Amino acid sequence: MLDEAKNGEISYVTSDIKTSKGPVQLSEEEIRERMSGNICRCGAYPNIVDAIREVHTGKEVAQTGSL
Amino acid sequence: MRPFKYTPTSTVSAATQKIFANPGAKYLAGGTNLLDLMKEDVEQPNELIDISRLKLTGVKTIVDGTNQGGVLLGALDKNTDTANHPLIRQNFPLLSQAILAGASAQIRNMASNGGNINQRTRCPYFYEVSMPCNKREPGTGCGAIKGINRMHAILGWSEQCVAVHPSDMCIALAALDAVVKVQGPDGKARTIPFLDYHRLPADTPQKDNTLNPGELITAIEIPKNNFANTSYYLKVRDRASYAFALVSVAAALELDGNQIKQVRVALGGMAHKPWRATAAEKFLVGKEATEANFKAAAALEMKQAKPLEHNEFKVELGQRAIARALMQAKTGGKA
Repeated sequence: MLDEAKNGEISYVTSDIKTSKGPVQLSEEEIRERMSGNICRCGAYPNIVDAIREVHTGKEVAQTGSL
Repeated sequence: MRPFKYTPTSTVSAATQKIFANPGAKYLAGGTNLLDLMKEDVEQPNELIDISRLKLTGVKTIVDGTNQGGVLLGALDKNTDTANHPLIRQNFPLLSQAILAGASAQIRNMASNGGNINQRTRCPYFYEVSMPCNKREPGTGCGAIKGINRMHAILGWSEQCVAVHPSDMCIALAALDAVVKVQGPDGKARTIPFLDYHRLPADTPQKDNTLNPGELITAIEIPKNNFANTSYYLKVRDRASYAFALVSVAAALELDGNQIKQVRVALGGMAHKPWRATAAEKFLVGKEATEANFKAAAALEMKQAKPLEHNEFKVELGQRAIARALMQAKTGGKA
């Protein structure tokens, strides 16, 4: 999924599909949309989204979800 | 599992002739729908004609003929590649949006354009082989019409079948006046206007479309239009992603100032086929592109709706979705 965004592949929630070129910035909404369908919607659980943001940005992201 | 024969093919004529010779055979492309149906025992082909290696790929600008300046989609182009293609993103963003609203990335990576068009309904009574279903087994009755029919049709259904067509991509193709190119086992090619390709159930719901035996989709053409900056695909579903539409709307406008020169509205989740909202379109042409007019057009279209026991909500939802999609189209997809 990180590579797809890096290659500029768009998703349903990408706002500028006509004009965007190059890598798609992975907002939380983009991550949730792109991770849905991995098994089911479970791939978009809060801590999974946070973990992906952390890898994507290279910066630590506080994990917001609680079990 | 039921045994079946696997037959790879390398030309369209070989594929069409092989399938014509065996009425129990099915074409296999991406397999994202057919293989599920085989696992559920809904489809029971005795032979799979693998067409996935045929050279029916490539998104191209059409350089001559009646649709000059439009675009040609390969039947075997993957949904993902079609949605991401620069020609589609630039000139037909409605189609990119609609494709990306469907299924998941993994499924879109496998699913072909032809297969998307030919996918079968997701009506649970069609999938559950212990239930009656006129589409799966003609003459057994419809389990859904008096069953749980929240997801089912409100337009164009019959006593025999209340299933809906599940595709998002097809709703955009219906709005964009696409044409389906097919080739038959006799080598003859023909083109079918998209709105004539799928059918309403009437008394033969087992027939999803108007293909003749053995015919194979080779390409899809979309004529040139001026909708690229003023179109929008709105999908309303039970959860934000990876779910079939309750209702969906493909809306496209061509404006002269604020006056509507041309308008296209197609509806998903409402009928056995992609539904072109011709009453709404006719009302809107020549009028101002205002919210009041969009609402009036939507109300006019939904007047024809005949809801079932559990889906009356779709009438108002559909009406609001049409008006909202047109407003979004007007502003180029921005709310």
